[in-house]
Amino acid sequence: MKFDWPYFWESLLSPSPQFLNGLALTVIISVVAMALALLLGLVIALMGRSRFLPFQLFASLYIWVIRGTPLLVQLVIIYTGFAAAGIFRFEDTDVLGSLIKGAVQAAIIGLMLNESAYISEIVRSGLESVDRGQNEAALSLGMTPMHSMRRIIVPQAIRIMVPPLGNSFNGLMKSTSILSIIGVSEMFQVGSTMSAATFKVFEIYIVVALYYLLLTTVWTFIQTAIENTLNVRAGLPRAEPVFKRLFGIRSRKQTTPAPALALQPADAA
Amino acid sequence: MTTQHAASTSASTPPPDPHDNIVQAVDVCKSFGDKKILTDVNLTVARGEVVVMVGPSGAGKTTMLRTINRLESIDSGEIRVNGELIGQRVNKHGKVVERSARDLARQRADIGFVFQHFNLFPHMSVLENVSLAAVEVRHQPKSKVNDYARELLERVGLAEKADARTRSLSGGQQQRVAIARALAMRPALMLFDEPTSALDPEMVGEVLTVMKGLAEAGMTMIVVSHEMGFTREVADRVVVMDAGTIIESGAPDQVFSNPKHDRTRQFLSKVL
Ligand SMILES: Nc1ncnc2c1ncn2[C@@H]1O[C@H](COP(=O)(O)OP(=O)(O)O)[C@@H](O)[C@H]1O
Ligand SMILES: [Mg+2]
Repeated sequence: MKFDWPYFWESLLSPSPQFLNGLALTVIISVVAMALALLLGLVIALMGRSRFLPFQLFASLYIWVIRGTPLLVQLVIIYTGFAAAGIFRFEDTDVLGSLIKGAVQAAIIGLMLNESAYISEIVRSGLESVDRGQNEAALSLGMTPMHSMRRIIVPQAIRIMVPPLGNSFNGLMKSTSILSIIGVSEMFQVGSTMSAATFKVFEIYIVVALYYLLLTTVWTFIQTAIENTLNVRAGLPRAEPVFKRLFGIRSRKQTTPAPALALQPADAA
Repeated sequence: MTTQHAASTSASTPPPDPHDNIVQAVDVCKSFGDKKILTDVNLTVARGEVVVMVGPSGAGKTTMLRTINRLESIDSGEIRVNGELIGQRVNKHGKVVERSARDLARQRADIGFVFQHFNLFPHMSVLENVSLAAVEVRHQPKSKVNDYARELLERVGLAEKADARTRSLSGGQQQRVAIARALAMRPALMLFDEPTSALDPEMVGEVLTVMKGLAEAGMTMIVVSHEMGFTREVADRVVVMDAGTIIESGAPDQVFSNPKHDRTRQFLSKVL
């Protein structure tokens, strides 16, 4: 096997400006798409919980369609398909003085739509994990349903939601690599271009892989810190240490107890 | 079925003014799906009165209690608390319609509710549990509220637990915090749904003692409970529910020693 070590180290330790741009674009698209997906996911989750039937139907339909089709196909439909059919074309737009490419906008919208369906399910099950009695206690004290949601339910549900949301974000960062299909020059796309020009295919993709690993590892540290902060605030033990979760070592003892007392179905007479 | 203030007083307390009723429920009906849970329930509770509701499991006691602060809606009839329809109002065309969420919240703020399973907020300290609503719902100054919350914790015997986490408390302690939390709103009426039935037997006494103190201080209370000793001691009136209706109502001595209804006798033979 021939492995060009000098080229590998140089690409890894002093990456080209194009590669760094690709890395930055990967991070920016991930963060913006995730932030928007959180908002949309919350809206879809609330629609799903609404007593208004059309909202419920819309939420179910949305989740069914989005989760039932591949992200790749969704992206191509939004960017290429819509333009071809004359429905909508993503144009390069100036946002706060910098030019945002049409493909990047489509990428953010596509990832947001895709991720929001999964997030809405995480939010829904997080909200449902909070015992119904919590809301009733809040209402009985004269809080409005919104006040109770904000002050009683969401703070308890968040602790349940952060681990799966964090995993979602981890997955989202990695799935940005398929954005090359609609021509977004994110990290993977830059890597492909470089490998086509230099034929150092193996070296370059190893470097690309290591940078994805760097991103997801940094995120794991951030996620652990968030979980620890929330647990400490709730008076619970700290989350699993970072090295354990990175290497998939999970201790058997449960670190987070069930959120609230389970309601017994029948009263004692 | 009629309203029951006839037998509503025991010998020791003066008869309550019949026009000073805090709760007035008239012909209340409620179904879950096609299952009838409450059928024409009539219940009137005077200011300062202590009413204990008993009856077999599934009789509808919890449901009835929850309709009084509208944690449960009703299908027909009406319920007034402090003279106001709870959760409903009459619009300008004379039709009964739902109150707004904000308006209902205002009404509920005056009605304390103590749950069988406490339902303390686990993400807050004991003191925060007690002071939260007075600060955020009544918008009273935080320092004043905290002083009053500490005073209430003192009254329920938990002054030293103010900064504790709720999950570090025993069941009996949690229920006493839950009572203090309801009292912090200075409610006109307290509702208790089997407040001691989820407790280990050795903790029942400490909660009942707090409730006795409240009753002696003149609080209007509706209590679902099968603690017969407590009932004899503090109840002005016992109401017996069975299969969604009130089958009997009267002073505890009279109901316990001379029940009019067969179903009451059957039920009492199990709990006395
Ligand atoms: N949310 C609900 N949905 C359907 N049925 C219910 C609900 N809550 C209570 N019930 C039923 O209503 C009946 C009365 O319940 P409940 O008021 O809890 O009685 P009690 O408190 O006297 O034991 C029971 O048969 C119970 O199964
Ligand atoms: Mg009950």
